Amino acid sequence: MNWAETIVNCLKESGVSLIAYVPDISIHQVTRLMEEDDYFHVVSATREEEAIGIATGAYATGRNAAVFMQSSGFGNCVNALASLCLPARVPLPMFINLRGEVGEFNIAQVAMGRSTRPILDTLGIPYYTLDTDDRLDLRVSGALKLCYASRQPLALCMTPLLHGGKLA
Amino acid sequence: MHRFSATKRVKDLVGDMAVVANLGPTTDELWHAGHRDRNFYTYGSMGLCSSIALGMALSTDEKVLSLDGDGSLLMNMGTIATIGRENPANLIVVVWDNEQWGQTGYQASHTAFGTDLEGVARSCGIEKTATVEDEEELEATLLQAMREDGPWFIVAKIEEEEYLPVAPIEPEVTLHRFRASFGA
Repeated sequence: MNWAETIVNCLKESGVSLIAYVPDISIHQVTRLMEEDDYFHVVSATREEEAIGIATGAYATGRNAAVFMQSSGFGNCVNALASLCLPARVPLPMFINLRGEVGEFNIAQVAMGRSTRPILDTLGIPYYTLDTDDRLDLRVSGALKLCYASRQPLALCMTPLLHGGKLA
Repeated sequence: MHRFSATKRVKDLVGDMAVVANLGPTTDELWHAGHRDRNFYTYGSMGLCSSIALGMALSTDEKVLSLDGDGSLLMNMGTIATIGRENPANLIVVVWDNEQWGQTGYQASHTAFGTDLEGVARSCGIEKTATVEDEEELEATLLQAMREDGPWFIVAKIEEEEYLPVAPIEPEVTLHRFRASFGA
């Protein structure tokens, strides 16, 4: 099972069946698998904070939902987390492709990519960095369990060392 | 048409339908119209009211009503395109359109200068749309939207009025009550 299949499997085991996302070439390896799988309803959002709203609505009616985005898009949804998910205590798994890491070619991606985890710290949102597929199933399933037990957003930050970096 | 009076009529019509309210006066007035566990009050996240309602509509077979606002929807117009793309038959969006950002000092919004939100919805593939000017028209259109498949997009033109006291509600309690009403 490769890293993308492992993440899909962990989401299923946690009953996460609605995915809201904004496309990214690296996370495409995961979202593509979910789009082909009838278990998931994958919603393409126009902006990352919209994805947060859609996922929150799904959770409000009893369906577990996760979001996928890249770090630039995390910058677009800080207020949605701060003013919706944190005060309402929405357990929202966020899979974030960290730009600005080793191999980054685009200067415009560096500042937001490298600011993502400090901003998560400031918000008090726990995160784990996924930079290897070593025990990935334990890391992802454990993070999802913690997310729902603590009823708060939680981020899984994926680096090129996990997914191979930008392919195009 | 005034929003609080119209909100009371909406509340009397919708039975136990899930209702998501935009932040500020729309949420406060929905609470003052009469609390229900299926009221999803929002307190921040401006622009996301109809996105939250979309996520609900994709997760239940029951009808879901969004009570959005012109200023808020202008902040997240992309969600109208997502509603058009997902095409949920059970989603009803009502946009209270006062053509201004009322709570921040009555600054004119873009709908006062010709932005046609109903036209935006139609261009995004939403076929069931209307613009209503009074409570009778709103009631008739909402009843039709409750009977017929959507998605529905209804612009309700309103005049601003004095605000009611802020509703004494907590986000965490809102979410807990709302989920419990869906057996979660």
